[in-house]
Amino acid sequence: MISTLLEYYNQEPFRFLTAFGAILFLTLNLAAILTMSERKVAGYIQGRFGPNRVWPRGLLQPAADVVKLFTKENLSPSGSDLWIFLAAPIAMFIPAATIWLVVPFAPGLVIADLNIAILFFISITSIGALGVIMAGYGSRSNFSLLGALRGAGQLISYEVPLILSLLGIAILTGSLSLVDVVDAQAGGFWNWYIWFQLPMFVAFYVAGIAEVKRIPFDLPEGESEIVGGFMVEYSGMTWALIQASEFALMGLMSAIGATLFFGGWQPPLAFLDLGTFNWIWFGLKTSLLMFTFLWIRWTLPRLRMDQLMDLGWKVLVPLTILWLFVTAGAVLAFPSFFG
Amino acid sequence: MLESERVVESAALGGRATGRLTNPYVRDEFGLETMDLNVGPQHPAMHGLLRLIVELDGETIVRCDPVMGYLHRCQEKIAENRMYPAVIPLTDRLDYFANMHMEHGYCLAVEDLMGLEIPPRADAIRVLMCELMRLASHLPSIGFLMLELGAFTPILYAFRERERIQTIFEAVTGARMMFHYIRIGGVKADLPEDIPQKIWDYVESLEANLDRDFVDLIQGNEIFITRTRGVGKVTQEEAVEMGLTGPPLRSTGVDFDVRLDYPYSWYPNVTFDVITDTQGDAEAAYRVRVGEIRQSIRIVKQVLENLPEGAVMGDVPRRIRPAEGEGFGRVESPRGEFAVHVVSDGSDIPYRVHYRDPSFVNMQFLQEIVPGHYLPDVMPIMGIVDPVSGGWDK
Repeated sequence: MISTLLEYYNQEPFRFLTAFGAILFLTLNLAAILTMSERKVAGYIQGRFGPNRVWPRGLLQPAADVVKLFTKENLSPSGSDLWIFLAAPIAMFIPAATIWLVVPFAPGLVIADLNIAILFFISITSIGALGVIMAGYGSRSNFSLLGALRGAGQLISYEVPLILSLLGIAILTGSLSLVDVVDAQAGGFWNWYIWFQLPMFVAFYVAGIAEVKRIPFDLPEGESEIVGGFMVEYSGMTWALIQASEFALMGLMSAIGATLFFGGWQPPLAFLDLGTFNWIWFGLKTSLLMFTFLWIRWTLPRLRMDQLMDLGWKVLVPLTILWLFVTAGAVLAFPSFFG
Repeated sequence: MLESERVVESAALGGRATGRLTNPYVRDEFGLETMDLNVGPQHPAMHGLLRLIVELDGETIVRCDPVMGYLHRCQEKIAENRMYPAVIPLTDRLDYFANMHMEHGYCLAVEDLMGLEIPPRADAIRVLMCELMRLASHLPSIGFLMLELGAFTPILYAFRERERIQTIFEAVTGARMMFHYIRIGGVKADLPEDIPQKIWDYVESLEANLDRDFVDLIQGNEIFITRTRGVGKVTQEEAVEMGLTGPPLRSTGVDFDVRLDYPYSWYPNVTFDVITDTQGDAEAAYRVRVGEIRQSIRIVKQVLENLPEGAVMGDVPRRIRPAEGEGFGRVESPRGEFAVHVVSDGSDIPYRVHYRDPSFVNMQFLQEIVPGHYLPDVMPIMGIVDPVSGGWDK
């Protein structure tokens, strides 16, 4: 009976629904866990406890937050472009959730093994900039408009180093599929791409923070001068959706980083192979990367727009292009070593 | 902004405050209009209730008009209707980050008016409290600077230190912020017995931890340097012309410090350096503040080592009724020179009280320096002045 059910289940509409449900479940839970851990990590960095009232030990705080946000009124400013205003959070959330489709969690556990997964990742993250512009334009507020323009400039500029930093791995693997990328890093931690591609990882990480709009690069939000930027007029669930999409995107950047540079679900040593349970390794690596995002968020001050552009165009882009040539040269010179 | 609104706005400001905007419809070479942005008075990162009307060309600021008055409480007028000692609690509400200095300045003015002799122990305790107050003001002001640059953590470290100092204040004065401790002729009460040791221990721990908790985390940070170096740059001449005092002035290299140049109270008996810097920007103001924290620690230690014995209250008549005349008192508050001018007509209430508040005077800086900077630079520039709205609005 189970086999017939599975067979039935494997048909296209059901697969779609399962994938949809899984992604939504994953994204929203990730956002909840990340809000919680952000506040806890911030608390411990600042020498305090963070939320510790909602049972147990404050761990159900996200649930309380969701209840609060659901009961809040969704305000929209008078004269705002309502359709754009309301569509913007969705336009930000959907891309952040969709990319989970191509992330391999464990051997055989990937929703869609696209052969152009890296391209898919790049193109879908670019859509996120659209949501920022929509939010800023639709709000009809000077602060939002400034934030949106900053956001547009920042997100589009940092797309370039982000894309370039992934190309080295595409050259090494000879494939754009994330499953192939993970398979190519099998055999132990010395086979991970982080060693050879370290400059690319630095560029990916910095550009990733900029894409997620977190602290050294949170200019679109810039809470000290434009008080929240593009999301200043949002309240209730629309605001929650923007926040959730940012947290989901942060988790996603960590997941993609772990997949591309840290071997994805590959265990660090061969005897630690857990089979299907290798998702534990994947989760561990992703969590560590996410923790560094939180760590940086509560440690560093913010850059200015011109300095941000300088860093993107004058440091990261030349660095990634240089290392792209180095990678390509190495593959050409030692074809046997790089397989 | 509509033209009618603009006219109203400029009328409220008494004409163009900076004179930079000649035509209400400024357009740049591309025919693009500038955008007005009202930052404040209810703005999360603004120091108190300040409203900045900022005119933006992209992210560049063309014009910056600070609008004050959102916290005006008629301090000077109320003081004309109260007896001399009853004004002291009001001065606490002036610059609420440096209450001790406010009380001290007013008491010095009234004592000058009456020609009172202050017992040495009272003078020493006043200086002790004022220097602790300076610590409690400079540390958060470094924290605020970092908060405005986007780093949230230093402000909490700073307020942890301020909290410890406030605990000391609470033990000495009975209040955490509005002390009413420095009185005409002395101080309210002697220090509790264990307090000198506690202050010593606290100051020692701050001296040991200052580098670890603040300086090492901030000073070498690449982002901090890029955000503050050259921002809000002001030359010595400009600073003197604008009447800046305190850290903004000393960051340009002028070594003016009321404590040394017009010594008052117990300050002639302690040695300390005037911290100056030559850069004259936000980074220099930060460095001056850190240096002054170290000097304050030094002063506190010296005062504690040679704390004179004796009474803490001078021979003050029960009813304070000074003869006709004028009294003047000036102190170095954490934000600059705070001066009080008291005029007496022979009755028991002052005829006129005037406060020269450093926050108010230093604020002129904004109109002159901010145009030409980017919008995010407003915040570090505010960090140079570090104004307190209770001070500028009085």
